[in-house]
Amino acid sequence: MVCCITLLVLLGVPLLHNGYYENLFRGILMFAAMALGWNIIGGYTGYVSFGNVVFFGIGTYVSGVLSLHGIQNVWIAIPCAAVIAAVFAAILGVPILRLRGHYFGIATLGIALATQEIVANIEPLGGGTGITLQQAAWFSQYYYAMWLVCALSLLATWLIARSKLGYALVAIRENEDAASVLGINTTAYKVGAWAISATMPAAAGAVFAFSNGYIDPSVGFDVDYNVFPIVMVILGGMGTVAGPVVGAFLLTAINETLWNRYPQVHTLFFGVAIVLVVLFLPRGLLYVFGRSGGWRGFLKSLTAYRV
Amino acid sequence: MSGSLSVRDVGMRFGGLAALDGVSFDVAPGAIVGLIGPNGSGKTTLMNVISGVYKPSAGSVEYAGRRIADVPTYEVCKLGIARTFQIVKPFAGLTVLENVAVGAMYGREGKRRATAASFERARELLDIVGLARVSARPASDLTIPDRKRLEVAKALALDPEVLLLDEVMAGLNASEVHEALGLLRAVNARGVTLIVVEHLMKAIMSISQSLVVLAEGKKIAEGPPEEVTASPAVIQAYLGARYTERRKRSRNGGETA
Repeated sequence: MVCCITLLVLLGVPLLHNGYYENLFRGILMFAAMALGWNIIGGYTGYVSFGNVVFFGIGTYVSGVLSLHGIQNVWIAIPCAAVIAAVFAAILGVPILRLRGHYFGIATLGIALATQEIVANIEPLGGGTGITLQQAAWFSQYYYAMWLVCALSLLATWLIARSKLGYALVAIRENEDAASVLGINTTAYKVGAWAISATMPAAAGAVFAFSNGYIDPSVGFDVDYNVFPIVMVILGGMGTVAGPVVGAFLLTAINETLWNRYPQVHTLFFGVAIVLVVLFLPRGLLYVFGRSGGWRGFLKSLTAYRV
Repeated sequence: MSGSLSVRDVGMRFGGLAALDGVSFDVAPGAIVGLIGPNGSGKTTLMNVISGVYKPSAGSVEYAGRRIADVPTYEVCKLGIARTFQIVKPFAGLTVLENVAVGAMYGREGKRRATAASFERARELLDIVGLARVSARPASDLTIPDRKRLEVAKALALDPEVLLLDEVMAGLNASEVHEALGLLRAVNARGVTLIVVEHLMKAIMSISQSLVVLAEGKKIAEGPPEEVTASPAVIQAYLGARYTERRKRSRNGGETA
């Protein structure tokens, strides 16, 4: 509810005609969409992926390639990016989602690094020098596009959490053997979850490529874009609908504040902040404020994790 | 209704250890078969083979004309075979109600059930097994006997034709065992075949129509309960002489068992 109102309010940001705010909030919406994507596979299904930046990268390059072929339209790029990333995730998922737990995480990390190298060596994709995109005159459309991507990702998460699919994913997270005995084709559902999870960062990447105006392998496959969404989901609450969005807001706010105050050492403080989040809020803020948690639950989780 | 289950020369090796060796028996539709034997005799391994969790290294299990080993684990419950686990496997982070609802969503009748109908079915089953009072609690909060009840409710949510029960009565007190037996008889009365693994002899004798006895991975006896428990091989391998004496005494007019 609070989340929906916030989203509606955010629709008004471009009306302020303030470039800084528009950029800032477009960034938050982008991270929120990426975090929502990661939450489907990492939060609901319990398979921690260190490679979801690949899908963001694919999204940026879909926009880049379309732009090279004279299609400078972000609204066409968004669905193309989502579909291509989902297909890519499904093809990769069939072999690596047979792996359980940590092995999946390691495999995704390998894929993230490999894909960046491969893209850097494909000449039609600009190789290491990248692609410059033609931006539209009405720049705020990229803000609205990012808003739409984030809103649809949130809506999709909300629908999944209430559906049979959502229960299958959570059952896999809680006990994969038991899920399989209860009739859930675990490999198929894991692949499906990863494909859905891929569409959100890909769509965000497609918009980012246009709003940034330039992409290359180090922009599209930036390590920050791999790590930030994961921390955002942990901060907000894994396996919750609104958690990733809350996390995206807070982490960006922390990052901005530190960057403004302590430009030289902000990454150090930011790193410390991430460690504190993981130590003190392993189940996320929404758990602390949620019905099942509360401060007592928070203290219990502290002792449980032996901090 | 349910088909017949046949276990044919099933062998299961783990490295050099033969956990099961040439085990064969048939279970007629609607029967209640007790599976007994000492610890480590292969009862749980056999349950795992029948429910498709393990593929047997020799022989086969067939149900209604299909080889279980050819069916993926998640399809076995759709054939109509459901089981409980001796080491219970609840979805700890979900509520008790949600645990059972997941079974109703993906079991034999799952395709025909929407989310709301699955929750409705789960509520009915929690009433039946006596867990309605804790339906909104996380499954991780349950006591051991309640976790056993939850296992039974989850298995029933799959709408099974054959239900494999692996020590669901362990840890229950006398009146709870009595209730559990009543529940199992009621389930059986609706046409569900039961295969029951249990150490509690009193319970297994009172419910089973026939017994299969395993020792060191081999079947050493099969037949009506009274006959099987009188067999010298079974007494030596599992029951012990004292059990037989006690039973004789109680049958000859004593009240103790």
